[in-house]
Amino acid sequence: MMNFELLFQTAKEKGCSDVSVFLTNRSELSIEVFDGALDKYEIADTASMVVRGVYNGKMGTFVTEVLDDKMIPSIVDAIIESAKIIDSLDDAIIYAGDKEYVKLEGLVNEDLKNQDVALKIAAVKELDQAMHAADPKVTIVETMYSETTRRVLLQNTKGLKLENSVNSAMFGGSAIVKDDTDQRTAFDLVVSNDPKDFNAAKLAKSIVSDAVAALGAKPVPTGTYEIVFHADALATLLSAFQGIFSAETVQKNMSLLKGKLNTVVGSPIVSIVDDPFQKKSSRSRSFDDEGVATKYKALIDKGELKTYLYNLVTAKKDGVASTGNGFGNAIAPINLKFLPGSSKLDELVKSCHDGLFIKDVQGAHAGANPISGDFSLQASGFVVKDGVIGAPVALVTVAGNFIQMMKDVVLVADDLKTGYYGITTPSIKVASMAVAGI
Amino acid sequence: MLLKKELIEKTIATGLSTGADFAEVFIEDTSSENIQLVGGRVEKANGSKIFGVGVRLALGFQSVYGYTNSKNPDDIVKLASDLSKSFSSNKVFQAVPLIKLEVGTHHKAKISPRDVARSKKVELMKAAYDAAKNYDPVIVQVAIMLGDSVQNVLIANSEGRFVSDERTHVRIYVQAVAGKDGVMQTGGEGPGSAMGYEYFFEEFDITEAAKDAARTAKTMLYADECPSGVIPVIINNKFGGVIFHEACGHSLEATSVAKNASVFCGKLGQQVASPIVNAIDDGTIENAWGSANFDDEGYPQQRRVLIENGILKSYMVDKLNSRRMSHEPTGSSRRESYRFSPTSRMSNTYIDNGTSTFDEIIAATEYGLYAAKMGGGSVNPGNGDFNFSVSEGYMVRNGKIAEPVRGASLVGNGAKILWNIDMIAGNLDRARGMCGSASGSIPADVGQPTLRVSSITVGGKKGGK
Repeated sequence: MMNFELLFQTAKEKGCSDVSVFLTNRSELSIEVFDGALDKYEIADTASMVVRGVYNGKMGTFVTEVLDDKMIPSIVDAIIESAKIIDSLDDAIIYAGDKEYVKLEGLVNEDLKNQDVALKIAAVKELDQAMHAADPKVTIVETMYSETTRRVLLQNTKGLKLENSVNSAMFGGSAIVKDDTDQRTAFDLVVSNDPKDFNAAKLAKSIVSDAVAALGAKPVPTGTYEIVFHADALATLLSAFQGIFSAETVQKNMSLLKGKLNTVVGSPIVSIVDDPFQKKSSRSRSFDDEGVATKYKALIDKGELKTYLYNLVTAKKDGVASTGNGFGNAIAPINLKFLPGSSKLDELVKSCHDGLFIKDVQGAHAGANPISGDFSLQASGFVVKDGVIGAPVALVTVAGNFIQMMKDVVLVADDLKTGYYGITTPSIKVASMAVAGI
Repeated sequence: MLLKKELIEKTIATGLSTGADFAEVFIEDTSSENIQLVGGRVEKANGSKIFGVGVRLALGFQSVYGYTNSKNPDDIVKLASDLSKSFSSNKVFQAVPLIKLEVGTHHKAKISPRDVARSKKVELMKAAYDAAKNYDPVIVQVAIMLGDSVQNVLIANSEGRFVSDERTHVRIYVQAVAGKDGVMQTGGEGPGSAMGYEYFFEEFDITEAAKDAARTAKTMLYADECPSGVIPVIINNKFGGVIFHEACGHSLEATSVAKNASVFCGKLGQQVASPIVNAIDDGTIENAWGSANFDDEGYPQQRRVLIENGILKSYMVDKLNSRRMSHEPTGSSRRESYRFSPTSRMSNTYIDNGTSTFDEIIAATEYGLYAAKMGGGSVNPGNGDFNFSVSEGYMVRNGKIAEPVRGASLVGNGAKILWNIDMIAGNLDRARGMCGSASGSIPADVGQPTLRVSSITVGGKKGGK
């Protein structure tokens, strides 16, 4: 392990005014079962360190996975060399710390940590068996479990030293189902740090029934439809557009939310928050990578934009305090959550005369443009005719603009779900959107 | 050498000690640099040093993988020992002694990124910035990202394979934003190569790419929303090849084929595409973005003819998946870094030239969409359904390119679209991409000549005609 004091001293001797290290230690376990047998088993132990140093008022950065003291001179040189080419007018800030940090409980679940690996493998096999047994149309099943334990340590020359540890796991599977004319797949997972949340029977049933229900899916005629987005589909969309809340994109003229603070950007039932203290989330933190205390905040409250997400540099530019969202090289939410409404998912569906219930959208990395807000995404789900769920739908696109969509939200369900992206969402209904099919 | 041969041999022997029939050690040392310039000023500059060791053991179909970035010999041998606990068999395989295979590189980097002053890199970026920003007053913002890396790998396995490879990559990405009256549209270009900085100093003019990114952004700013419907689509060359990459390429990787999870399973030797379609995945093209001397299992990269005159000729197969298939490995095993166990992946994948010309294809199309530039896309290999986005599109009317349209995406089915390719031009060209899949994000070229798909679903905000 590197001697940080020696690193700090060397950097200061070479002319750096302040230095900060951010060390991440990670242990990982991942298990995959295919056709009843253990197909993949992975273990890992890694350490990675980000070193930031201020030289002539500019911030140089170096990331290293080699942590012996012999690296110190080259790290310091690299920091100085990279600081030299920076000509941005941004301040370079190493933070002395906040008075108080929220004390987070339960981020390391001892049950998860102490559970025998054999039991974890058994759970994945149980999911595999349950999925195979759920329906004769199931042909191929893949199931997985992955667990991460992460410790981060921040230490700087301003005397700040902060530490945080979390563990978390994902448990899930995918199924391919086949009938005489069609083949469909479905995938789902549970994210938690509590082994009790990993219910193989329940998960197997929902994945397989999703896949079977999609058999025979076809495009619908091109037109405009009322759209119910399932929580999973909304999470994918929100993940694609989360960058618009970053003060950095706003300040660089690359966000649609520029100049929109305290104005209406969504319908009155749209509220989106960032909750750094969410239970069972591996992303939860009491401090960000710059050492700023994190806090719970409403981004959109009842349709009104309340704040952007800030790190130290962007906050100083806008004359506000950092929101504690400085992570690595970027500004990011910690646990983004679209607050639930009071309706039942069933009511959302029943309210549609000529609608689609979209379970899944695909291709957001390319088909959603976070700068223009436009998206056109491959979607699948079901026809909803006069409030009744009908035939399965696939290979259509649903297109719109994210801000317009937020304004067109007419119902929000109470079915909160935390998914793969670490984003928590309910299902919502949007008044109308363009759909392309046949 | 990244690790001593004796340590590698000990690690392999430890891995085999409980009955595994295959052991492999992958050692990586990568140094890279990323610089970001926004609004004409350098905002961020990061260097990085990655080092790690990955150990993989297998017995039959079952494999285990572990990695560490400790350089301590005890930690590395312990990793092999921990992994070996997954197996228990009395039959212990003996490793073939390691003899290093020395070959010259096909992908030489003349000017290594490590030998180029950072200020020189910034000069390139500022030239690109100026070219894009000065293109037109509607260009409100330009961001330039420069990335370079030198990856050194050492790969050894229990069958005596023992090779090293050095992979150098340089790339500059230009993003231009055009804005007016609260509307913002973007254009991007990301040229790069598996060589050193001679690419930007001698071979490629980054300012031309920057102007083109600005031109796309401006064109899209004044474009109408794309209408929806099922129409003929003409897909341009270069990044247009993403259509084959997503729609078919992923479904031809052993990752899905070996598990019988691909629509192309059992179709070798059968007609799977229109007879004018020839598709190739070639990891040997000199200095191409997705090329390497060896794959990440240490076997030579190859040129693979995937589809010939519409007939399926080959899958892309890695060593362990080949055990599930009656198909030889094809040197297709790749991984982002030591943090991923390798699996079958594409390299430089393209549809080959046809006999039509660009002008003939446009002239033969009464009504359709011309996708001049494509964005990215994705596919579900389980059923072949894919999507991809059009970043610069035009309507085609009466055999002529008409008004620009924006916001279009294309959805379809990989197995079906191959049959609907009815014209292919002779202007094959490739473009750079980053492909994300099971073994991480890796550089991969896509490519094709301009071609026409007789009918495909186009989705846009404007709705139906």
